[in-house]
Amino acid sequence: MNTRRNRFVVTVTVVVMAVIAAACGGGSSSSSGGSSASGKPLVIGISLSQSGDFSDPGHAAMLGYQLWADSVNKRGGVLGRKVVLKIVDDASDPNQAVTNYQTLITKDKVDLVFGPFSTLLTAPSARVASRYGYSFLEPAGGGQLVFDQKLHNVFFVQPAPTVNCGDPFVDYLSTLPASQRPKTAAYPTLDDPFATPIVERARAKLEALGVKTVYSQVYPAETADMTPIVAKMVAAKPDLIFGGTQSLDAYGIVNGLVQQHYNPKFLFLSNGANSAAEFPDKVGANNTEGILSCTDWFPELKTAGNAQFVSEYLAKYGGTADTIDGGSAEAYAVGQVLEQEAKKTGKVDNATIISTLHSGVWPTVEGNLSWDQYGAPTGSQLMTQWQSGKLVPVWPQATALAAPTSPKPPWGG
Amino acid sequence: MKRVTPAGLARGAAVTAAGLAFPLLVTAPYLMTIAIFTVMYAALATSWNLLGGFSGYLSLGHAAFFGVGAYAEAIVFTHIGIGGGYRPFAMVPLIGLGVAVAAIPIAIVFLRVRGATFAIVTISLLFIVQLLAFNLRSLTNGAQGMSMAIPPFPVATYERPFYYAMLAVFLGSVLCCWIVSTGKLGLMLFAIRDDEDRAHGLGIRVTAAKVIAFCVSAGLFAMPGAIWAYYEGFIYPQFAVDPLVTIGAVLMAFLGGRGTIWGPMLGALILVPAQQYLAYSQGASQLYLIGYSAVFLVIMLLMPRGIIPSLRDLAVSHNPFDRPAGNGESKPSTSGVSP
Amino acid sequence: MHLIVQAAILGLLTGGVYALMASGLTLAFGVMRVINVAQGAMIVAGAYVSYTMFTQLQIDPFVSIVIMAPAAFVVGVAVQLVFLRPLRSDEREELSLLVTWAIALGIEGILGIFYQTTLRATRPSYVNDSLTLFGYDVSVVRLAAFAASCVILVLLYLMLQHTRFGRAIRATVQNPTAASLLGVESNRVAAYGFGISVATATAAGAVFGMITPFNAGSHYDLISRLLTIIVLGGMGSLGGAVIAALFMGMSEAILAVEMSPTWASLWFFVILVLVLLIRPQGLLGTPERGKL
Repeated sequence: MNTRRNRFVVTVTVVVMAVIAAACGGGSSSSSGGSSASGKPLVIGISLSQSGDFSDPGHAAMLGYQLWADSVNKRGGVLGRKVVLKIVDDASDPNQAVTNYQTLITKDKVDLVFGPFSTLLTAPSARVASRYGYSFLEPAGGGQLVFDQKLHNVFFVQPAPTVNCGDPFVDYLSTLPASQRPKTAAYPTLDDPFATPIVERARAKLEALGVKTVYSQVYPAETADMTPIVAKMVAAKPDLIFGGTQSLDAYGIVNGLVQQHYNPKFLFLSNGANSAAEFPDKVGANNTEGILSCTDWFPELKTAGNAQFVSEYLAKYGGTADTIDGGSAEAYAVGQVLEQEAKKTGKVDNATIISTLHSGVWPTVEGNLSWDQYGAPTGSQLMTQWQSGKLVPVWPQATALAAPTSPKPPWGG
Repeated sequence: MKRVTPAGLARGAAVTAAGLAFPLLVTAPYLMTIAIFTVMYAALATSWNLLGGFSGYLSLGHAAFFGVGAYAEAIVFTHIGIGGGYRPFAMVPLIGLGVAVAAIPIAIVFLRVRGATFAIVTISLLFIVQLLAFNLRSLTNGAQGMSMAIPPFPVATYERPFYYAMLAVFLGSVLCCWIVSTGKLGLMLFAIRDDEDRAHGLGIRVTAAKVIAFCVSAGLFAMPGAIWAYYEGFIYPQFAVDPLVTIGAVLMAFLGGRGTIWGPMLGALILVPAQQYLAYSQGASQLYLIGYSAVFLVIMLLMPRGIIPSLRDLAVSHNPFDRPAGNGESKPSTSGVSP
Repeated sequence: MHLIVQAAILGLLTGGVYALMASGLTLAFGVMRVINVAQGAMIVAGAYVSYTMFTQLQIDPFVSIVIMAPAAFVVGVAVQLVFLRPLRSDEREELSLLVTWAIALGIEGILGIFYQTTLRATRPSYVNDSLTLFGYDVSVVRLAAFAASCVILVLLYLMLQHTRFGRAIRATVQNPTAASLLGVESNRVAAYGFGISVATATAAGAVFGMITPFNAGSHYDLISRLLTIIVLGGMGSLGGAVIAALFMGMSEAILAVEMSPTWASLWFFVILVLVLLIRPQGLLGTPERGKL
């Protein structure tokens, strides 16, 4: 009998101790910048994915936010107030993000909130912010879901909605003489809130340009093996392969094409191929030449504050310009917008922010931004291409650092 | 046949009163959110228990029904257009009924196997539903998810309608469990749990009993899903049909005592606020997974019958003639369930 | 037609790797009526260890199998002793599912802490090489993976048929009570059997890591397929698992090409339901025993 009582007591004790230990052991991470600001601190709440599927880009966003906070505090803060970031982890779960923003706003009573990573989390979080009258400047929720909600407090701090990823590519093709354009196209598409709309939009434009669709397939996210899809695509012999991809499948498509010895004239991958460090590692450095992609930011872009951002970033975190994740620039730009709004109006309450940002042009490292009434930015994305082992922006010509080349050279193997 | 005890009625009344009064006393929105999830998991654990605890058929894929409930709500909203406001709540009981009926053929097929095979098969059901949610894009929008209207409730009491809806489903689940356990169906299920072949040999209609338990449990499990969809506003396949929802419900039922009526609720009351608090202050889903894992293992190995049965054992421990033999993991006796 | 045969070849090679993964799972069930839901997580853990050995120590993944297997065996025995043996035998099947699921979550959490969620892939220099056999492209890695799986499965089969320990295992699978009456130490057999199943899991993981980029969350997908395979093949039957795995690999690959990738993955589960309707014990399994 003693054993049973003992076991019960032991179990309860263990569980209770575990809960207490965990509760005492941690705290939410927060950061404050330098010390030359005075006045009541300006507390900004952010839910970021520090674990789960989005932990890598979430981490990049955190670096960008913190860098901005440090930087602005060194300059005296925002309207003389020191910026304090309260960052909590949402584990890449939209439900947790919703809970986090609600708690940040109603329990911790933060002054402002900034957005989380990815459209999946941004869309429901924006609702929470809207309900409480908070502005929602967000760096990474560019899918149509966000703008379809018709909320007035949302501002997507990037040059263009994500769905416009293929626009620069179509523009570029239309400048080529007809003999150099692709005649046929294949559209392998990941079933994903980003990828699918990008391909749908690009395909409509390309078909209008006279490019015939010979293959179109949406594949599920958990497709482990891209080889059958690639095989079927290769059998149709497309001139252009326009892939709506994320990372895993982009690598799979390239590897599959190499293994099946097929070299299309144009290869555009909406994601995966725009990662300067990861892509050559996953497909082989001499297989990248000529592959096209889109992006919103580049270290050498001549945009407002970009040179300073890059140098500050390298000073604080080390590495080289190529290893800076675009997510950090996006987050930094969010801070820049706030800083400028404060300078312009002298106020940082949510109502003023919301009413001010819907007009005018706001220069950031992401470019000069302006938004429509539902938060969609009105600019253009960049098209990038791998040239001699480096990723360079090649379109639009105003901001490009090199000219695009075509057709795609053969695989390096 | 029904054993209605004054103590049981008193417990039921007390819980109902506490549940109803809670939002009037606690108004902070973030606490209400924790309360919503607590009551939701209490409902889920209780309805899982109707099948898993009473009949011994451990379903590990019940989250499939939660997902179906969530998607049913979103689909009705999007494709049929019932409007916003309070109307989505009206759909919840209908969805529960619909899922229960739709579960009949599934039950008949799946209940042909037992034990671990049954559990594996229910896991497969979970993945089938998730795959369907991803792939029936014209219906479910696939990976892009579905959204529901922004509820027009006033900010100060925004959470209340959802809380009361969850509370209603929870009390309904407890009521079902109580009706079943104090009636003939309950005796049949307990007999099946103890020894199905013998029960069958004694003339008990085991298939009918199991199917009813499965379908009622499925319908009850789907209803919180429908409410949850409206509360979150956006549902995506991998989060609406999530294995961790089943694990959570099962863990809570095990912790509190499966086979009891209030055990699952107790498990939920302990684990959900702790998990919500830890998730906010700690984040790091890796730790949360490890935490789930550790708590589960500890319970399974040290206190396999759960809190309430163990408490009962302690209460009668001084009488050596009441002591069940064995090393503690003997099956709960058929009289071991009282409200 | 060419496309279908190409897909069938690919499916066969993939199926071989699944067969290796599933063999450990079905062995664990046969020997001690334990469903090891953590098998997927152990495969992923094996993939990570082999990835680390390759990137840090430049050890070829196929070589890492030989290094990992003994360590994995020891870990498996330990897990069996600590977590599975204490479960009472009449409820062991269902409870083992829950316990091993908890272990799987724990493994996923630990791996996530060390490796984050970045997708990893073990890429030795030959990873994109392909041979052209009779006009069909065959990836060198997949061929080698298939070959390694065959070798290990054959070794497993030989052990079961021709060693004393193997006979003890088979006796325990057939009838544990009779086996222990005849002097087979069922506890030891169970522990060693589980150890072997974990060792095969890590071997499969090393191979898996070369074929597919993976992260800590990849085990869900794996285990869902493996469970379906062993139910289809008959729980406890090694031959059944192999046949089921090859069948599933080929049919999924062909369907992905002929219909669409989306429905191909659904196919796994539809087959399961059909099999349960007709033959609940699977292809080569024994009908579910009633309790004594």
